[in-house]
Amino acid sequence: MSLADVQLTLAPNAVVARITGEVDMSNAEEMGATVIGATPTDAQGVVLDLSDLDYLDSAGIYVIFGMRASLQARGQSLVLVIPSGSPVHDVLRLAGAERPGEMADSVADALRGFDGRSPGGA
Amino acid sequence: MRLGFGQVALRPAELVEDASGQARTSWRFSDPALSELPLERLLDELLNRVQEALGVDTVAILLYDEEANELVARAAKGIEEEVEQGVRLPIGQGFAGRIAGERVPIFIADVDHADILNPILREKGICSLLGVPLIVEGSLIGVMHVGSLTPRAFGQADLAVLQLAAARAAPAIERASLFAALQHEHRVSMVLQRSLLPQRLIDVTGVGVAARYLPAREEVGGDWYDVIELPRGKVGVVIGDVVGHGIAAAALMGRLRTALHSYAIESHSPGRTLELVDRFVHSLNEPAMATAAYAVFDTYSSQVTYATAGHLPPVVISESGARALEVTPAPPLGAFPYGRCPEHELTLGSGEMLFLYTDGLIERRGVPLNLGLDALVRAVRTARTPEEACVFAVADLVPDDGLRDDAAIVALQNSVVPAELHLRLPAEPKTLAHVRRVLRRWLIERGADDADVAEVTIAVSEACANAIEHAYSPSPASFELDASGQDGEITVTVRDSGRWRAPRGENRGRGLSIMVAAMDDVKIDRTETGTEVVMRRRLRNR
Repeated sequence: MSLADVQLTLAPNAVVARITGEVDMSNAEEMGATVIGATPTDAQGVVLDLSDLDYLDSAGIYVIFGMRASLQARGQSLVLVIPSGSPVHDVLRLAGAERPGEMADSVADALRGFDGRSPGGA
Repeated sequence: MRLGFGQVALRPAELVEDASGQARTSWRFSDPALSELPLERLLDELLNRVQEALGVDTVAILLYDEEANELVARAAKGIEEEVEQGVRLPIGQGFAGRIAGERVPIFIADVDHADILNPILREKGICSLLGVPLIVEGSLIGVMHVGSLTPRAFGQADLAVLQLAAARAAPAIERASLFAALQHEHRVSMVLQRSLLPQRLIDVTGVGVAARYLPAREEVGGDWYDVIELPRGKVGVVIGDVVGHGIAAAALMGRLRTALHSYAIESHSPGRTLELVDRFVHSLNEPAMATAAYAVFDTYSSQVTYATAGHLPPVVISESGARALEVTPAPPLGAFPYGRCPEHELTLGSGEMLFLYTDGLIERRGVPLNLGLDALVRAVRTARTPEEACVFAVADLVPDDGLRDDAAIVALQNSVVPAELHLRLPAEPKTLAHVRRVLRRWLIERGADDADVAEVTIAVSEACANAIEHAYSPSPASFELDASGQDGEITVTVRDSGRWRAPRGENRGRGLSIMVAAMDDVKIDRTETGTEVVMRRRLRNR
């Protein structure tokens, strides 16, 4: 059984990456690279949907910060979907990193946020 | 005897040999031992006996390939090339082809002047030939011919001997061919069946599993088992039985096993999974039916959810004995459109086992099925491990001469959770997922609630991640994890033999923050020989 699954959807202005399963030091870097690699340079950014992720550890948090930095370097943004009460929300609280980036309550909200931006984040 | 270009159709045999000679010849070809031989050795033995009886230089047997409407060289003496080159001859033309087409014996006195298609006969320098058809119950099965390197006028006596040999050989060849074909199908089916079953049972934390596929006496069928690791500490266990036998049933089994496995890893419930496989069977648009049982065991909660489709009830084995579970009758997969598979639940206590099987295990001619089920329940009631359950079931229920129908069995045990954990683990990242599964189960057993489980699990996983990062020796490194609980407080110790490395960068240091935030007390002891992290936490509802 693979520990995590990455489902990628290409929305008009952004890539939606829904991560399920468990992300830890064994697969975090691969997860980050998969999402960044699948993001076209002309997209405004990435919506990282962690609503149904069962487990995230500090290696995973580290990779999320890295993803944000990589995207920013390309003029793109990272929006996280992490509902309160979800396992990921709890671990961010424990890590003292409640807001590791721009947040949205749902994927739909995150995508609405991208509507108003021009491509390339300019 | 000689006619035209040296080709003569002979009259059917009239035995002209004297009584003693005939008896001897007859014995040569009707030796009961011949009927016991496998096809290759039988043909070989026949060739020897014919060669000896007629004193000829060459003997060949060609068998009739009905599909291609050709004769295929199958065995030969003196003209082995015929077989080696896989000579195929059309029916109706040439020497052997005419024997087969017209079903008459043919004698050729002079090969050079005859209608011969097979060049090997000329190349070998054969001068004269005599051949007869091999016929069983009115059907042609091949041709047998003999040859002489010197001109020879084969006479009625020679023909009689060859016909006698043919008459004795044909049924034996037919029987051996059929048997060889059956054996071939059996072998193919067995290989197919084995390749379609799991090569190795998965090793899932919290459960023990054992399984068997038991082929029937004569042929394989479409029975299967499967054990599937599922997300969130669950494990699925499957048993199924495709209606029918042989290669077709084994192939369909492979498709159904894959279909069920695919739906299962999508985390569909047991009932829904079986319903989806039912739709899958209908979508094949071919006559196909199967029965199956699918159970999902949650290693965290010890709950089993199961459903069946036309299948016999699972059996639960506990220390107090064994019993068949209640099932709501549901139609087999592929039987009716939109079949429903109701689900049932039960708690599998520590050490208890779920035993799934197919009807081949308990079915006996003339014995009601419920008596077979009683026998199974009696056989496995004292089993204490999945392996024992399989061994006991096979010992008591498989007759000495084998099963009439094939059978599959699979046993799953809720392993006993020890009061304390003492683990030595490989220092590699993939160990972490295993540690979390073991720990979650252990914490639930200690009475931890959801928040306790989530927070202790991440704290311990972070400590283990540190131990794995510290282990930078080139040899396979390991670390230790101990966990104990007393009066509602749990203590977890993670010990490695590497040097402590300062967390690199702000974000990399979050592991330690998580450990401190999640546990009541964290002590890190760094020495020259290694690092020990001791963590304590009082469980919330204790």
